[in-house]
Amino acid sequence: METIGYLMEGFAVALTLNNLMYALFGAFVGTLIGCLPGLGPANGVAILIPLAFTLGLPPETAMILLTSVYAGAMYGGRISSILLNIPGDEPAMMTCLDGYPMARNGRAADALAISAVASFAGGLIGTIGLIMLAPVLARFALSFGPAEYFALFLLAFATLGGITGKNPMKTVIAAALGIMISTVGIDISTGTQRYTFGVLELYEGIDFILAIVGLFAISELLFFVEHRMGSGRDKMSVGKLSLSFKEIVSTIPTQIRGGVLGFISGVLPGAGASLGSFISYTLEKQVIGKKGKFGEGDIRGVVAPEAGNNGASSGALVPMLTLGVPGSGTTAVLLAMLISLNITPGPLMFTQNADIVWGVIAALLIGNLLLLVLNIPLVGFFVKLLSVPPMYLLPIVTMVAFVGIYSISHSAFDLYFMVAFGVAGYFLRKLEIPLVPIILGLLLGPEMEKNLAHAMVLSDGEWSILWGSPLAMGLWIFAGLGLALPYLVGPILRRRMRAAIKETPVSD
Amino acid sequence: MTGLGDRILGLGLLVLAVAYGWVAQQWPEPFGGAETVGPETFPTILSVVLVVGSLYLMVKPDPDAQWPVGKSALELVVSLVVLVAYALLLEPLGFVIATTMAVGTLSWRMGANPKPAFMTGLLSAIVVFVLFNYGLSLSLPAGLLEVQ
Repeated sequence: METIGYLMEGFAVALTLNNLMYALFGAFVGTLIGCLPGLGPANGVAILIPLAFTLGLPPETAMILLTSVYAGAMYGGRISSILLNIPGDEPAMMTCLDGYPMARNGRAADALAISAVASFAGGLIGTIGLIMLAPVLARFALSFGPAEYFALFLLAFATLGGITGKNPMKTVIAAALGIMISTVGIDISTGTQRYTFGVLELYEGIDFILAIVGLFAISELLFFVEHRMGSGRDKMSVGKLSLSFKEIVSTIPTQIRGGVLGFISGVLPGAGASLGSFISYTLEKQVIGKKGKFGEGDIRGVVAPEAGNNGASSGALVPMLTLGVPGSGTTAVLLAMLISLNITPGPLMFTQNADIVWGVIAALLIGNLLLLVLNIPLVGFFVKLLSVPPMYLLPIVTMVAFVGIYSISHSAFDLYFMVAFGVAGYFLRKLEIPLVPIILGLLLGPEMEKNLAHAMVLSDGEWSILWGSPLAMGLWIFAGLGLALPYLVGPILRRRMRAAIKETPVSD
Repeated sequence: MTGLGDRILGLGLLVLAVAYGWVAQQWPEPFGGAETVGPETFPTILSVVLVVGSLYLMVKPDPDAQWPVGKSALELVVSLVVLVAYALLLEPLGFVIATTMAVGTLSWRMGANPKPAFMTGLLSAIVVFVLFNYGLSLSLPAGLLEVQ
């Protein structure tokens, strides 16, 4: 099997001492980011991009660093879910349901350990799925023409809000805004200046990295300032580990079910990690039935969503790597890194940049192992960090964002731009306009326009080519469904999720 | 009226969309004659999408968010001023001084006592400065502290 051969080459890339060090560093920092209040994975990866960029890391090392951060953040998200009943990010919500009761019953250490094991299992299953599915999908995607790509981008935007999204129209607006920002600058094919207003700094367009950092990091700071959540939380104690080997073995079926389900929902557009962990948890409840004590600290109630969540985070890499279309905020940020490294994501990446793709995949496997090893002994350290109040932490994070952006171009102009994006991000978040479609629009806008132009040249100006082939037609239909379903199914699903969470109040 | 926030946003976006679309129509025809897809085609499509979206927002707004008033709003303005001042003073004052002041003021305004707040600022500034300038050899501006 050629896949195995590629994977071996990937391991050769990932296992060099240098890359291994970065993977370890990334996994550590990622866990930190995941468990700290107010720093979601997308946010954390975004802040690290300019740093990875300015350090002049080779592309495969930069990607290995960021994917390890991504995997680590998923791990870290569970620590505050279990100990404080506050999910570090959205997918970690379901872990609160049984994780927090376990901690209250004095089994915090066990809950943390088993969730690390479940995360590992989920990540492993997801990565194996990625290895099997990605090359197949990439080969299939080679048959896509420009019209299919155009439709695929539409599908990506339409499903980004997810089935559980609230107002799909706001997703559309956000995507349009993002693409509009991407049209600023000199048009590549004709040389026409678009929306530059004669400002020299705008000729090259708006750098999406500073838009991302501004939208995520600066707006987060402003949110904390507004809500005055500066003082942090009480210290939690973890207690002693009493988990038996037998107990771990008994949860293996749960881990497999959760990981597989999570992976599937990660791959599908519009589902994502939150739905992955939700489905895994609900199914587990159905399978175990009355025998379990779900909601009161059942160990399987921790295992299922954690395996699902981490399976989904690997699954979400499938569309990002093979099609260049990310399905979540964090993978969108990873895509930004790829584009700024001058690598065109998509099916060709598997042949042209095989070392990067397979290096990243191998790094995911290694990263998962590192995380498991890192997490069990270091959990006490991470817990201590949880009690660092945000009033010290967020200003420092903001400063790191400033340093990162400044070190790319050494221009204060970029910093003003970043702050402006932060303010815009604050208002948009207040008005519940999602930020991820904006980022995705910024990234995919130029590609979308290019494919539109290509399709038109091929068809000699006939617009119907855009939905001419059966495949393109199918993509359009799915995109339409992606916008319509939240109106039809969304309220029901949201109500169910809320009902499941109701007994344990969750703050955002 | 409920949904005022969304209505105002919708109005703003409508103006933006129309202006954006209008500007696109003003560009000169590119050298070599017009193609089906010129530089203005894609922006025109986007402006139509945004017009539809903004009209929808105005017709069917979501319930209003809670907007900060009084002291919270003031704190927000203060933080914003700090951020802009930080960007402005980073080069003239140098990284360490500017960062100490920016991080210190921000943590102080977020509720820390002034002394630990500015100590955090100074400490983090020095650590990052040393790390970047000597560890990673990326130069951050030394400003006033520059040794001639």
